[in-house]
Amino acid sequence: MTTTTTTTRTAVARRDRLVNWNKVALYAALFVFLFVVLSPFFWIVKSSVSGPDELFKVPPVYLPHVTMENYRALADQVPLYEYVRNSLVYSVSSALLSVSVSFMAAYAFARISVPGRNLLLWLFVLTMALPEIATIIPLYRLLAEMKMLDSLIGLVIVMSSVLVPFTVWVLVAFIQQVPYEIEEAAIIDGANLFQIFRRIMIPLTSPALATMLVINFINAWNNLLYPLAFSVSPKSKTLSVAITEVFQARSPWGRPWNMVSALGVAMVIPAIILVLFSQKAIVRGLTRGAIK
Amino acid sequence: MILRLGTAAYPIIETIQLSLRSFKNYGATEEYVGLGNFTYLPDDFGFKGAIEFTLMFVIISTLLQLVFGILIAQLLNANFKGRFLARAVNLIPWAIPTIVAAYAFRWILDDQFGMITHWWDLIAGYRPVVFTDPDGARWAVILVNVWKNAPFMAVVFLAGLQGIPEDLYDAAKVDGANAVQRFFSITLPMIVPLVVTMSTFFIIWQVASLDLIYGLTNGGPGVATQVLALRVYEEGLRYFNYGLASAISIVLLGLVAIIGMIGIFLFRRFEVSS
Repeated sequence: MTTTTTTTRTAVARRDRLVNWNKVALYAALFVFLFVVLSPFFWIVKSSVSGPDELFKVPPVYLPHVTMENYRALADQVPLYEYVRNSLVYSVSSALLSVSVSFMAAYAFARISVPGRNLLLWLFVLTMALPEIATIIPLYRLLAEMKMLDSLIGLVIVMSSVLVPFTVWVLVAFIQQVPYEIEEAAIIDGANLFQIFRRIMIPLTSPALATMLVINFINAWNNLLYPLAFSVSPKSKTLSVAITEVFQARSPWGRPWNMVSALGVAMVIPAIILVLFSQKAIVRGLTRGAIK
Repeated sequence: MILRLGTAAYPIIETIQLSLRSFKNYGATEEYVGLGNFTYLPDDFGFKGAIEFTLMFVIISTLLQLVFGILIAQLLNANFKGRFLARAVNLIPWAIPTIVAAYAFRWILDDQFGMITHWWDLIAGYRPVVFTDPDGARWAVILVNVWKNAPFMAVVFLAGLQGIPEDLYDAAKVDGANAVQRFFSITLPMIVPLVVTMSTFFIIWQVASLDLIYGLTNGGPGVATQVLALRVYEEGLRYFNYGLASAISIVLLGLVAIIGMIGIFLFRRFEVSS
């Protein structure tokens, strides 16, 4: 009796010790991971609230006297209001347009059965691999001919078309999960396509639609190449172009790292908020295309 | 769909046509030169180097991203408090604009005032001059790229890990397999199809990416970190040399097509065998 208790006790103790070591290793790895991911953000947040005297110091000042001067000066240096507005219009419209177009295309792919449908879907999805940069010159000339250079409409159309293949790919999978019987019943009741969309498909696939809206918004918000190539004036330049301009501006002390950091922080905040609030949905959307 | 056809098929055809022409006076006049642009390419300053670094960049980046992606996925798959938050934090590098990451790291690696260079000084006793040293610049570009993209790999691998039935691990434990053996005999084989798919996609995306390099080194020092995508941008949209830029685009498209086909071939093999 006593012997068994002792053995059990040592076994438990040994397991405890083992678990603890695993825990230590786990938390150590976690710490390193978080540190590597987050320290760059600490650095740009810190730089964005440093005055010029504390920005260029050896060794670096890690806890500066916080000043909002950089953010204020930023608004004087670039047409910030226009750029923020353009970025928002560009990202929101691209997300809305791409998701609504993709929704209809995905519905067609999921429900209409014609021979060669899968091949068509594959070919369509394969255009995802087409590099943006390889299409930029023809698109530049095309937009110039259509008088759509330097216009948000042109940018939104081009960006949406890039977002569509992945969105269709994800949405087809979701729509196929909706049982066809529900629609059949509705059709028998005399519902038309528009009513089916509004009453059945959109409510049932709304989590997927919302997910793709978020992912596409982030992609458009982060996009640099199209606005950089197609925008000439503040009429259509976005924040990602703005940061390249701020970077190139010279200040008496060298690169205006405080301004670059301030704009960087401003551009990162929406992304972080979206990620924190919809982590699960984003992951579901991102993995949907890769798995299966 | 027609929209995507317009922005996918049309540019390819147009690019092929443009690549056979030469442009003068900032793209104002053009003339047919046949394959002239392509025969000029080997002599082009930086083209050969651009091909070399493009390949080096994508291959090393993708390998490192796979390794770190799997490691992070394993970490985030473990059971601990605050797992939800750690997973959200993991997505942040993916979600922030590449150009912001590029400038942030350019500042962090600044040879006089940067944070990492300061730490390097504390540990190793000297300040690395990253961006004027060809090797330093190349490694900076690759490692920052890994920092930005490995988390995305991790997200996908994490989903893959969660699809592996738990009892496989239990059975292996009963048989006395240790953690390393369990990883190589269960985890890795189960996610091989994912590894192949992700590698193919990442290589394709990165062959043609330029945001990061545009912001971090802009191809420098000299042409040490020059990539094909950046050459297309500079020739086409800075010097309006549409013909040459289109020719480089065609080379790029060829590269993408080859990688894509290898990827599909490998994927089929692993699908059948697993």
